[in-house]
Amino acid sequence: MFLQSICDTTKDMETQAANNNESSYSFTQLQGMIASYLGTKNVPQRFKIITDTSDFFRVDYNDVVILAGVPYLMRNYTREGRFGLDDEPKYWVRKAIDLKNQEAKIIKLVFHEEIDARVGDMVFKCVRSPAKEAAILEMVAGHRNFMQGIAIRDAAGNIVRILDFIQGKRFDELIHKLALDHEEFFYEHLPDYLAIYIEMVKAIGFLHEQGQKHGDIRRDHILLDRNTGDYRWIDFDYDYYHDANMFGYDLFGLGNILVFLVGGGDLTVQQLQAADSPVLNKISQEDMNIIFNNRVANIQKIYPYVPDALNYVLLHFSNGANLYYDNTRQLIEDLAEVQIKA
Amino acid sequence: MGIDHTKCDITGMVERHIMIAVDSSDNAKRAVLFVGDFFGCYEGFQVTLLHIILEPEATFFSNEDERQKWLAEKLSDAEKVMEQYRHILVDAGFPENKVNVRIDTMRAPSVADCIIKEQEEMKCCTIVIGRRGISKKEEFIFGSTSNRIIHEAKKCAVLVIE
Repeated sequence: MFLQSICDTTKDMETQAANNNESSYSFTQLQGMIASYLGTKNVPQRFKIITDTSDFFRVDYNDVVILAGVPYLMRNYTREGRFGLDDEPKYWVRKAIDLKNQEAKIIKLVFHEEIDARVGDMVFKCVRSPAKEAAILEMVAGHRNFMQGIAIRDAAGNIVRILDFIQGKRFDELIHKLALDHEEFFYEHLPDYLAIYIEMVKAIGFLHEQGQKHGDIRRDHILLDRNTGDYRWIDFDYDYYHDANMFGYDLFGLGNILVFLVGGGDLTVQQLQAADSPVLNKISQEDMNIIFNNRVANIQKIYPYVPDALNYVLLHFSNGANLYYDNTRQLIEDLAEVQIKA
Repeated sequence: MGIDHTKCDITGMVERHIMIAVDSSDNAKRAVLFVGDFFGCYEGFQVTLLHIILEPEATFFSNEDERQKWLAEKLSDAEKVMEQYRHILVDAGFPENKVNVRIDTMRAPSVADCIIKEQEEMKCCTIVIGRRGISKKEEFIFGSTSNRIIHEAKKCAVLVIE
């Protein structure tokens, strides 16, 4: 069924690519559309009209990219950063305006990249797959927990993804802000956020059931959509081949988010040392995150009010674990046992 | 206890069927050598060498040609190694007609799921598999086929060869 769906999508996109070639706007028509959005004084006098996005470095600010007959005014490229590192520009991911309805979009152009993904001291091959993201976009159309959008082939056949722009904060930013006082955060906010987390795990389970993986599960890849109040997974173009467990890396990502959430942020040995915490004496190697050995996974040792049922789940992501979650169902079943009461 | 005795009759009335789950790794070869060494001199055994090619989703590849090339390479590698393994078993004393070679291309979350599915269909009484000897970290991220089989396989014995 799913293969058929991909084939249908490919055919659809081929048709769209053909239509794309037929679509044409005059320079003056486009200037008029831009004027409606930016105002007449701000209309650029020179810009390129692009239907083949193969060379994404050629796509400049103010250019108009035409996809399936719709003109998009290109704005800035996006950036991605975390852990205090400088934001890295993603030249192939552009903010854009749909000039037909003036909606803000994110346009992801094709960038075939093979990456050495580093997880702790392990390295594995990862690829960016526009086709994978296109297939998932179709799979999750209308699903409240995923970014929404469509995939279109441009005139050269590149699979371009046109995504609804999500206005709202990242999940990790929300947690950091709330968790200044951990005990208050734990009793006042964590029950609600755990419910949201479970909803997000179920969404990943939805992908897995259909043979797809997210591929890059991180706490900054969940956005709160301010317009709808929904939390949404973003960025699912990473792909890799792990034949012993295709979903293990997704489970690892889900575990990291849970440990971060319950801790109200990362709890590191360095932080404990800086605070001269007496807890340091109680922490052993077995209590640490299995991959990131400076992060504490056995959070009950730091915050004793973390209930056993919740800490039991966290311990699956620790060095001391002998069993790991194979699938989202197992994780959800264990989380269903968790009760937080003041 | 849990074993299908209709296919694993210890009186020898029914042939015992061993599945060796292999790939092209050294640990798989060790599993084949073990079976040859341990069971090759006895009658009443049938062996199936099973090689699973876990096919990624079509979207893993940038185009159909790349997918076909990937599959052809995997199949060619599997055929080569399976011929070697078949020789090892025959040289160890298994009759040629008691050594089956099976290469399956499948889609599933893991190779282990495919092996278990095949074991259930073929009703093999034993799965033999080599252990890669990976670290806990690697098992956590990448998964472990042998551990998954130990946990998930039913109605059969599992031999894990170090």
